[in-house]
Order: sequence, then structure tokens, then C-alpha cells
Amino acid sequence: MELRTSSAVIGFAESLETGAARFYEAAAARIVDLAPFFRDLARENGKNVQSIKRAYYSVISDALETGFSFQNLLSEPYAIETVLPPEGDAAQILTIAIANETRMVSFYQQAAHCSQSFMADLSRVLKRIANNGEKRLSRLRERLETA
Amino acid sequence: MGAAKLRNYIGGEWVEAQTVEYAEVIDPARGKLLARVPLSTSADVERAVKSAAEAFPDWRNTPPAARARYLFRLKELMEDRFDELAEIQTREHGKTIDESRGETRRGIEQVEVASAIPTLMQGCNLEDIAAAGIDEHCFFQPVGVFSHIAPFNFPFMAPLWFVPYAIAAGNTFVVKPSPRVPLSQTRVVELFEEIDLPPGVLNMVHGANEATNAILHHPDVAGVTFVGSTAVGRDIIYKSCGETGKRVIAQCGAKNFIVVLEDCDLEKSMAGLMTSFFGNTGQRCLAGANLVLVGSDSFRQRAVDAFIGAAAAIRVGDGMDGSVQMGPLQNAASKQRVIGYIETGIREGAQLALDGRKLRLSDPDLPQDCFLNPSVFVDVTPQMTIAREEIFGPVACILRAADLDQAIDMIHESPYGNSAAIYTSSGRAAQKFRHDVKCGNIGVNVGVPAPMAFFPFGGMKDSFFGSLHGQGKDAIRSFTDPKVVVERWF
Repeated sequence: MELRTSSAVIGFAESLETGAARFYEAAAARIVDLAPFFRDLARENGKNVQSIKRAYYSVISDALETGFSFQNLLSEPYAIETVLPPEGDAAQILTIAIANETRMVSFYQQAAHCSQSFMADLSRVLKRIANNGEKRLSRLRERLETA
Repeated sequence: MGAAKLRNYIGGEWVEAQTVEYAEVIDPARGKLLARVPLSTSADVERAVKSAAEAFPDWRNTPPAARARYLFRLKELMEDRFDELAEIQTREHGKTIDESRGETRRGIEQVEVASAIPTLMQGCNLEDIAAAGIDEHCFFQPVGVFSHIAPFNFPFMAPLWFVPYAIAAGNTFVVKPSPRVPLSQTRVVELFEEIDLPPGVLNMVHGANEATNAILHHPDVAGVTFVGSTAVGRDIIYKSCGETGKRVIAQCGAKNFIVVLEDCDLEKSMAGLMTSFFGNTGQRCLAGANLVLVGSDSFRQRAVDAFIGAAAAIRVGDGMDGSVQMGPLQNAASKQRVIGYIETGIREGAQLALDGRKLRLSDPDLPQDCFLNPSVFVDVTPQMTIAREEIFGPVACILRAADLDQAIDMIHESPYGNSAAIYTSSGRAAQKFRHDVKCGNIGVNVGVPAPMAFFPFGGMKDSFFGSLHGQGKDAIRSFTDPKVVVERWF
């Protein structure tokens, strides 16, 4: 689906974050050793949703280009896996998580780029989440090396 | 049948209008009956104005800080109900959910700004002004009962350009929502009731012409604010207020020019141009109507192609679908009026390069009574009807100008002066445009130059009738009388 409006982008971002949180909560339940790590990531997903919504609702104006700024932003390349593989071990789960986070970082970078001319505040939040996503990726890769 | 019958709000109570006439409130995207709105009579207005007049003495003596605190509570409620308020707007008006959320935010901004009334309403003074020991003080005092006759295109926000400022300043109020979109204001009044605003400070009378006339001619109404067409604003509202000695703010029609110079960043400009011409389905007094291209033939062709390409790609459908970029016209009559203009444009020789009458809806099962896709005319000349009259729909007219001077001349030939915008990377051109163009709102690389609540909002020429504008400090001056005290003590 092409994401053209702010509503569509915000809605998609929320679905990514809630999907990722669901994945990490399930991972925490299965891999007890890494439970605090996964729960921390899930908590950050929840915060990301709050940050995006706060920025959107604080600066949205019908007079700005909220309905027309996003171009060539498709949802399909950024779809993530939200269900654990049956009987997957820590390494498999971490590998999927890394793939998910990579797609999410890419989505936020692209969405931030599209929105920078009309909603600087929203763009800044999206960029910040993308940057945090890079750090999450590093943490996941470190865990994968020791898994 | 079975849809709710709306009631008036008078003296802190919900009361049935003294009428048997009701109009239907229809969801323009789905064709569903949402409610029935009473077409109240002059007797209903009499009751509302009496209630407001009776509430005035106590309310004006309520400390400004206490009046402000009512608005703090109102703001909190509006934030809590943000999405609910936005959805009501989309349902009754048809605009997209992003647009409704944007309207909600801008409405809440008015409440925020009016909450600063203890600062905004301060007067001034000077010691020893005439001679040693003779001081002068200027106080701004509330006036009495004000009223707002609301438009259909911003059902939530437009009354909030006036109501919060008027009551924060100590006045009382009668608001008459548009009978086409009465649900948003009904919800706003419910929130006012929830904050326990004293009875009579804010009253709401639904209705149409009879209610408007009763407001205009009521001797106890000190002033009227209006947003709507120039024909009504100038010939009825402004004239009647002049005859009856009321102060008036009448924000009226428009025909806004967007001038695009060859040195602009066309790619970055396109989202703003689409918002200006097709946002709110073109039903906005700040909407772009005439796109004036200034530059070489190759630039003009490139700009026309890009504009038409972007307009053709706009996703049209039910505004509740977050992926939709443009909703329906507000009612079927509006659609027919816009089609009439499209036919006039063709008849007068303009080339219809994109025909919005050929519907391409996101959901083909939607009823088609109110929908149009964007239309774009090229080869339009300033003399054509479509270039002169306000269409108030998703129709763009593309004109050519030899240079910036000619583009500005075109703007000045229009009787309207609501807004104009320029897209350019030249600071010199932007500065000249800002300085020379006779419009109340100027955009520089901004297609919808809507002033935020802190700034005055109003047009020039046939787009505005009155003295002071709405919003911000202008609104406070509109709703108060300056009183000067010259003081000496023996």
C-alpha cells in the first residue's frame, strides 16, 4: 500500500511498533535468559508510539501539507515479522529481530525525509527513532554473537 | 427516520426549538442521515439573546483569571476528545481525517491563546500625562452580547476564532452553527457545559435565514461575526450591522492567486500546491484558485505537467479512510454548482486538461452524489468566469503571466483580497510580492497562508468587511471598549 497521508504513515508506524513489541514480548516469554533485554526493547516500542503521536497531534494543521507530502513510500518493503518461529531458538529469534529492526530503521529514515519540509517536529521524532533503531540493531547483533 | 433531533442550548439548558421545520444533516461521503437540525425562529433567538444579556453583568465581573480557568478546562477536554471531535467533522463535512485533526488543533489553539486574557486584555496608563499630578488610564471593558454566524467549511474551528476571545473578555455569546454541519459545534457546546460555564454565557441557536436575521436586528446584540460569502457578508451582514449600529467582523469570499516563478523548487512546492488547491476539497477561503506561471515556455510546460500529474494521482474517497487525500464536496448542491463552473469554463474556451467529473474513487461503492475528482483548466485568461468567481471546489485554473509585475496586476484586478502566495527561491521577488500585493494573508512558499491564533486573520477588499480582524489581539480589541480615565487628586 502506498502511504500518502500523515494518517497513513502514523498508522503504519504504530502497527510496526506494536507488532515489534508483540514479537519481543513473545521472545521474552520463550528465551528466559534474554527476557529483560527483549522486554526493554518492547518498552521502547511503546514509547516510540507515544513520541510519534505526540509530535503528530501537536503540530498537525489542515493548512500544511499533511495529506500530500509522502510520495513513493510503500508499506510492503517495511513489513516485519511479528510472530515467533515455532520452536525457534535465541539465535533464530535474534536474526529475525535484526531483519525487522533493519526494515524499521529504513522506514523511519524514509518517512523522516519525506516529512521534513512540512512537519519538522514530526520529521525530527522519526529521525530520532531511526537513530535509536541503529543502536537497537547494535545491541541485537552483540547478543547474536554471544547466543 | 430515527436520527437525533438537535436542540438549542439556552441559559445552560438544552431546549427544543420553537419550530416544526428541520433540515437533514447528511454524511456527504456515505449519504447517511446523521441528525435533524431545527431551523429556529426569531422567538428562539430572542430567548437566547435574553439569556446572554441576563448573564452578562455577573460574567463581566468574574475576574479575568477565573474566566481563563474555564478555558483551561475546556482545552483539556478538547485534548482528551481530540479524535472524537475530528471524526465528527469528517462525518458531517466530508474532509479527510488529517484535515479534521488539523482543524481540531487550530481550534484548540484559539482556546489556548484566549486563555491568556489577563495579559491580552491589559490596558495602559501614563503618569503626569497632561500636567504634574494628572494621570491617564485606559481600561478595556467587555461590551455585552456578541454572536457568530458560522460557515459550513470549518464546522469546529471557525466559531472558535471568536467565541473563546469574546467570553474570555467578559462578554456573553450566541453562536449559530451552519445548519449543514451543526454537529461539531453541538459537541463543543456540550464541552462548555461540562466545564460548568455559568448559564447564559454561551448559547447556541441552530437555524438558517430567520435566525440570522433575528440576530442581525436584535437591539441587544452588540456585535456580529460572520464567515461566508461576500454576497451575504457585504450585502446582508455588514449592511444590517451598519444600520443597527453593531460592530462587525465579516470574513468573506476569495479568489486566491498562487504565483509560481521559474526559479522555484517545483518538486518541493508540489505538496503545498496540492494542499492549497485541493485540500478541504477546495472549500476554503484560503484555497488556491488561480495558478499563475511566470517563466519560459519550457518551464510552464514542466509546471503544468507536474501539477496535472500530482492532481490526477490524488486519492479521493471517504475521509474516514486515513489513506484518502481528498473527500467529497459538502453536499450534492455544491457538487452541481462546481460542475456548472466547469461547464462554463469549457464554454468560454479554457482547456479542461484534467476532468474531475470522471470519478476515480478509492471505493467504487461510495455514493457519488457529492464527489468530484480534481479538475485542472489550462489556457485560462483573467477575463474568464472561472478565473474571476469563487468556485469553492476542487478546480484549478492555470494562467500565464509575462513577469511578476503582470502577475501582481492580475491579483489586483480581482475584487477579492483574501490571500495570495508566491513560490520562488528569489528573496527579492518574495519581498516585492509581500510588499505590493493587496491581500490580508501572503504566503511565501506556503500555499495556505493561514495565520496561527496569535495573529490577526482577515482579508482585504471584498474579502473582509469590518475594522478589526478575528484571532489574537485583534479579537480582544473587537470584543472590548477602551475606556480612558483622566485622574487628578486634590
